[in-house]
Amino acid sequence: MQRLLEIYQHREMLINLVAKELRARYKGSFFGFMWTFFNPLFMLIIYTVVFSYFMRIQVENYSMFLFVALLPWNFFQTSMTMGVSSIVTNSNLVKKIYFPREVLPLSVVLSNLVNYVLSLAVLLPALLFFKIELSFNILWFPLVLFFQFLFVYGIVLIVSALNVYFRDLEHITGIVMMAWFFLTPVLYPLKMVPAKVSGLIYLNPMTPFVELYRNIFFYGKQPGLIDLKIVLLVGFLFFFVGEIVFARLQRDFAEEI
Amino acid sequence: MEKAIEIAGLWKKFRLYRDKAVTLKERLLFFKSRHRWEDFWALQDISLVIEKGLTVGLIGRNGSGKSTLLKLMSRILYPNRGTVTVNGRISSLLELGAGIHPDFTGRENIYLNASIFQMGRREVEQKMQDIIDFAELADFIDSPVRNYSTGMFMRLGFAVATSVDPEILLVDEVLAVGDTAFQKKCLDRMTEFKKRGKTIIIVSHSLEQVEKMCDTAVWLNQGRIQSMGEAGKVIGEYRKSLG
Repeated sequence: MQRLLEIYQHREMLINLVAKELRARYKGSFFGFMWTFFNPLFMLIIYTVVFSYFMRIQVENYSMFLFVALLPWNFFQTSMTMGVSSIVTNSNLVKKIYFPREVLPLSVVLSNLVNYVLSLAVLLPALLFFKIELSFNILWFPLVLFFQFLFVYGIVLIVSALNVYFRDLEHITGIVMMAWFFLTPVLYPLKMVPAKVSGLIYLNPMTPFVELYRNIFFYGKQPGLIDLKIVLLVGFLFFFVGEIVFARLQRDFAEEI
Repeated sequence: MEKAIEIAGLWKKFRLYRDKAVTLKERLLFFKSRHRWEDFWALQDISLVIEKGLTVGLIGRNGSGKSTLLKLMSRILYPNRGTVTVNGRISSLLELGAGIHPDFTGRENIYLNASIFQMGRREVEQKMQDIIDFAELADFIDSPVRNYSTGMFMRLGFAVATSVDPEILLVDEVLAVGDTAFQKKCLDRMTEFKKRGKTIIIVSHSLEQVEKMCDTAVWLNQGRIQSMGEAGKVIGEYRKSLG
């Protein structure tokens, strides 16, 4: 609890780091911040062309079906691959100045969260363009996003702290994320999975998130109550476990880095 | 007197790795073979109280644990045994320019760096001109820091860290910055801090400097407190031991 208070006291640093993260990504490029919108836009265009002309899939509006799930997946994946090394790459800060070390992974997760939210500016017009009706169920979005944020932040806390002690984790994370992607129903609908293994897929905490996002954006349905309960639990569980693990491991950061 | 820092029964151990196994592969391969490291007690049984408003000098030979003690006070390191209690906002000058990002301008870096020391945006805006003047960077403040000279870089770091208005200032051997004129400015600023009743803890090898600035001194020898008390007396003893 005290740690959370301290993070709050360092909010100015957090804001500056997130802004730095967002600006540094596009520094020196001609279109600058516009890339935040170009990236998802071109991703969508490419997927649409590929899946409507080259590889036809028997799912209606497949490119949007995919896109709705791919954006939150990218939020997760980029947070993980960038976040895992967030402590190690800032060793000059960690060794020289005191601040709650959570600020480093948190700034990575928050900057990716901002990117995800901004990509809605591409997603929503695209949904309309493909004649997918938007419903009031979109109002569930902030809640689902909040739980996903807790989950992503918690797991990034764990991997970023462990990475100080086992540097291999950076490389392992890349591989695990690739496998994890295919174990999450992003490319395919959940009902396509044989009943035998679908239980396995439901052990994956990203599955209910993807299902929820798809319900509220793509199908315009109410989010499933069970899914909501699971993500609430998953969110807070990872958040607390992450904070506890991190608090224990961070004491030796300055020595181990 | 109120206490600014209280250290009780503090022990700090470092592991000296013969050849540090960092990766998983190495950890698995060498799992069995112990003694890849030796324990090294950098600080042993340190107890001291620093009262508010005092300027304290830490002296001792290289490797005696001075910088380690400073890092423990600023909570960068944690003790293995014992406790460190700190009352008040700390600003540490352990190394100038830590956290300065080369791609951003001097001004952007002032915001970023000041926020690490918990300064709010408004506070920074108020002090911006002061910081720029002190660092003597008026013409360069809006160009990227990677174009700065080493001296400019250091001046920027010092100006930000001391503008924080801390209650406790930790300084590690950084006063050897810049030209003589700037050094004098730094010392003046420290004296001003002292006058305003702030607590300052200095690690220095310049005994003249410690003699001039400090009320009390702590002499560390191989991780233990050899002597502490009135600055002139402790420095005298230390000088004698050096022969």
